[in-house]
Amino acid sequence: MKLNWFKRAGIFFLPTSIAGWLILVAGIAFAVYSFIDIDSRSHSVSDTLINFVFMLLIIGAVYSLIAYFTSRKSK
Amino acid sequence: METQNFEEKLLKMTKPEVNQLKHQDMLADAITNAKDKSVVSWWWLSIPLFIIAMLTMKSVYMPHTTLISNIKELKSQQPVTSVIFFLIVPFCLIIFNAFSILKIWSLTGDHKDSNSVRAIWVNGLMIFFSIIILIFYAL
Repeated sequence: MKLNWFKRAGIFFLPTSIAGWLILVAGIAFAVYSFIDIDSRSHSVSDTLINFVFMLLIIGAVYSLIAYFTSRKSK
Repeated sequence: METQNFEEKLLKMTKPEVNQLKHQDMLADAITNAKDKSVVSWWWLSIPLFIIAMLTMKSVYMPHTTLISNIKELKSQQPVTSVIFFLIVPFCLIIFNAFSILKIWSLTGDHKDSNSVRAIWVNGLMIFFSIIILIFYAL
């Protein structure tokens, strides 16, 4: 089954369907939630940013992996 | 008269020309796939590289600590996370990128154009970074 949920643009995968947009919105929502969660437990701005960037990279890696397997292979 | 016309037609006819070979399609697919793989590799490699950068900063700003001691501390405190990001991920990326390079290399043969060379170079860079991470983990 070939899915066309994303297309690659540089180092990002852009959504091209409703399912793709839903995944992107879910990723952004989770990033916002984790920022608020990390910020409530951290002791300084640098503590928040270091932990948040780490979480952001994990979200980006998982998103890119999903997008890679569901993206259109252009010819 | 008809025979003459037919002979003229035959003279004008040429061999069927194939503008694009199947081989070229396969090569284009391989290069596109290699580029997509290098993007995914880059995202996954950024996690251990970020950890190494943070541990380097920690060793600079905290007295009596070194990068090696900080990595050893990470290994003892976060055994599962460190194995995933410093061992499994780089190892998988080396295998995937090596297969991409081999595929492009075999399809291009002696006629390597700029696109294929660039794809090979980027995938090679991912393998290089993966090896660096494995070395850091082995320290």
